[in-house]
Amino acid sequence: MCKTICPEGCIEESEEEFFIPDETYCKGCGMCAEECPSEAITMEKEEK
Amino acid sequence: MAEASCELFDCGHRACGGCGAALVSRLILKATGKDTIIVSATGCMEVFTTPYPETAWKVPWIHSLFENNSAVASGICASLKKQGRTEKVVAIGGDGSTFDIGMLCLSGAFERGHDFTYICYDNEAYMNTGIQRSGATPYDASTTTSPAGKCSKGNSRPKKDLPQILAAHGAPYVATASIAYPSDVVKKIEKAINTPGPCYVQIHAPCCTGWGFEGEKTLAIGKLAIETGLWVNFEMEDGVVTRVKKVVRKPVETYLKEQKRFRHLFKPKVNAEEIAKIQAIADKNAVKYGTDLKLKSKPDPVIP
Amino acid sequence: MLEITEGSHAVAKAVKMSRPQVIAAYPITPQTHIVETLADMVADCELDAEYITVESEFSALSACLGASAAGSRTYSATTSQGLALMFEVCFNVSGMRLPIIMTIANRALGAPLSIWNDQQDSISLRDCGWLQFYAEDNQEATDLHYIAYKVAENPDVLLPAFVCFDGFILSHTYEPVDMLSQGDVDRYLPPYKPVQRLDAADPISFGMYATPEYYLEFRYEHDQAMKRAKNAIHKAGKEFGEMFGRDYSALVEGYRLEDADTAIIAMGSICGTVKDAVDEMRTAGKKVGLLKIRCFRPFPAEEIRDALSQVKRIAVLDKNISVGAKGAVAIEVKDALYGKTIPVLGYILGLGGRDVRISDVKKIVSLAEDGKGDQFYGLRTEVL
Repeated sequence: MCKTICPEGCIEESEEEFFIPDETYCKGCGMCAEECPSEAITMEKEEK
Repeated sequence: MAEASCELFDCGHRACGGCGAALVSRLILKATGKDTIIVSATGCMEVFTTPYPETAWKVPWIHSLFENNSAVASGICASLKKQGRTEKVVAIGGDGSTFDIGMLCLSGAFERGHDFTYICYDNEAYMNTGIQRSGATPYDASTTTSPAGKCSKGNSRPKKDLPQILAAHGAPYVATASIAYPSDVVKKIEKAINTPGPCYVQIHAPCCTGWGFEGEKTLAIGKLAIETGLWVNFEMEDGVVTRVKKVVRKPVETYLKEQKRFRHLFKPKVNAEEIAKIQAIADKNAVKYGTDLKLKSKPDPVIP
Repeated sequence: MLEITEGSHAVAKAVKMSRPQVIAAYPITPQTHIVETLADMVADCELDAEYITVESEFSALSACLGASAAGSRTYSATTSQGLALMFEVCFNVSGMRLPIIMTIANRALGAPLSIWNDQQDSISLRDCGWLQFYAEDNQEATDLHYIAYKVAENPDVLLPAFVCFDGFILSHTYEPVDMLSQGDVDRYLPPYKPVQRLDAADPISFGMYATPEYYLEFRYEHDQAMKRAKNAIHKAGKEFGEMFGRDYSALVEGYRLEDADTAIIAMGSICGTVKDAVDEMRTAGKKVGLLKIRCFRPFPAEEIRDALSQVKRIAVLDKNISVGAKGAVAIEVKDALYGKTIPVLGYILGLGGRDVRISDVKKIVSLAEDGKGDQFYGLRTEVL
């Protein structure tokens, strides 16, 4: 689900079938976390 | 359906985080694959994908002006025909370009019957230039040129019914879709590009920046639009509605209160009269398209 | 082969023989005979092109833009109001370096509405980055189309071109024209080979947006291409002359200028009238000559300077006016001669189809000799 709906197209599937956002391109919008049916993604604020 | 085609739309574009239109771009290329020529109107999608010298598009792509992508697409269709080439031609525009300034070219291209697909990503205002009102802006939405104020309740006109207008041009396939249901979007685009003649797909693309909600809620807002009946997902073939997405309807407040562009209907106090008018629009849509699901446990659909 | 033919029909035949793949045009007086003749040719399978009956001129040029970007040789025609409606697209086409050829059957712009000839329409677009050729007669109007395609499609140039000929005066007038054969044209003008095109096999993005870091350089390269066009015109025009006996290598052409005291500068069909006036004045002993400008963009500044360095005065005939300033040709001629002390006197005439006679040209030369210039010629004061 998250890979399909990411507006950046930056979520890839790892060999263990986890979905990993590519942090170079992730804008932190949080849609993936919001939509994930198994709540597998959490958003963490980037602190300076 | 193309394999690995999300690679056709590259990462690193400049859209806002949570952009509905960005998701539309990815879904379009998933559906079309690489043998496609994209003709883009000026707007958010064009601007965030092509800051020279970078481009997100891995298919041939052209942008001319704000209002002429349908005419440019017409010329491309004619050229490909002469050259015996089979690439699909897909014109993409926002609602500003499609509903308003591009109407002339859109109508002409559909009247002439060119074999192309027009996809409108509808974020319900001129977003790229700073959230001004378009012919697709819903009733009472606040935009910078239809702001809510002491003597204004926001946009004073209902949405232009462009799908019906294009069906009246004789378009063989017209569909509405929403990014809230991404596989439906892909299916409808595939159907459009494989139907000969001019086809139209209008995709609801909620805009967090323009509508005033958090980026993560883009799909949730899209779902609420459909669940309240303010957006109807349907298909028309040769002018006849053939499929409609049915819902158990929620009251329009559940959708409106999530967005800053409708905040004036709730603060400083609830404007029941205006909300009732918007409810009436939703009710009319439900009747027109037959979207209400009748549950056995509840004989009537939910209407406040 | 010599034919007595209407200007529009001759142009249509030239276009047909140039083998465009896509034609998109919207009818407007006085260009209609061109687009109608082309439609007939397509309908009778004499011209194998896609003909798009667009819903406006704006759409016509936009459709040509798309077709050209996809790799086709394309064609359109318009004038006056139609050209004005295409304003936005003109900049877009030339900025994208698409070699579209468009005939302009020059006509005055409203308001007030006029269907008659002047050159305000194409002159008002002199900044948009298209080449501009002006035909003296229907022979030139015809030949210039082949030459325009050749120059435009030259990989050193890649710019669109207007081929201008005066509405009604040339478009609707029957003149003898030596028409080339299809074989001749094919020898002169090979099929279009785009340097870049929309192609799934090699995807590129056309028409992106450029930030301030890049825009200046784009426009510089655009201007450089226009400057390189001069050489391309020399070459293409010379080759035409070698193959068919009519040389178009020069951007300007002198007529009896060699020892002239007064030079008249003009563009378009008025040159025919001026030549007759020059002949009459010469017979009467006056040393007058004509410098015809056949190519207005790129502007032949050096060529004008070289041709006119010995004359005593210059009378510029402008069938246009930059309202609030002067005639466009006069302004640019003055710029070309900056530093020289030759008086350049401008005359605004012929607007909205006002006839210009041999006697008018003679009167203008007298005015120039008296140092009276920078005026509207032929005002009907009783109407004011």
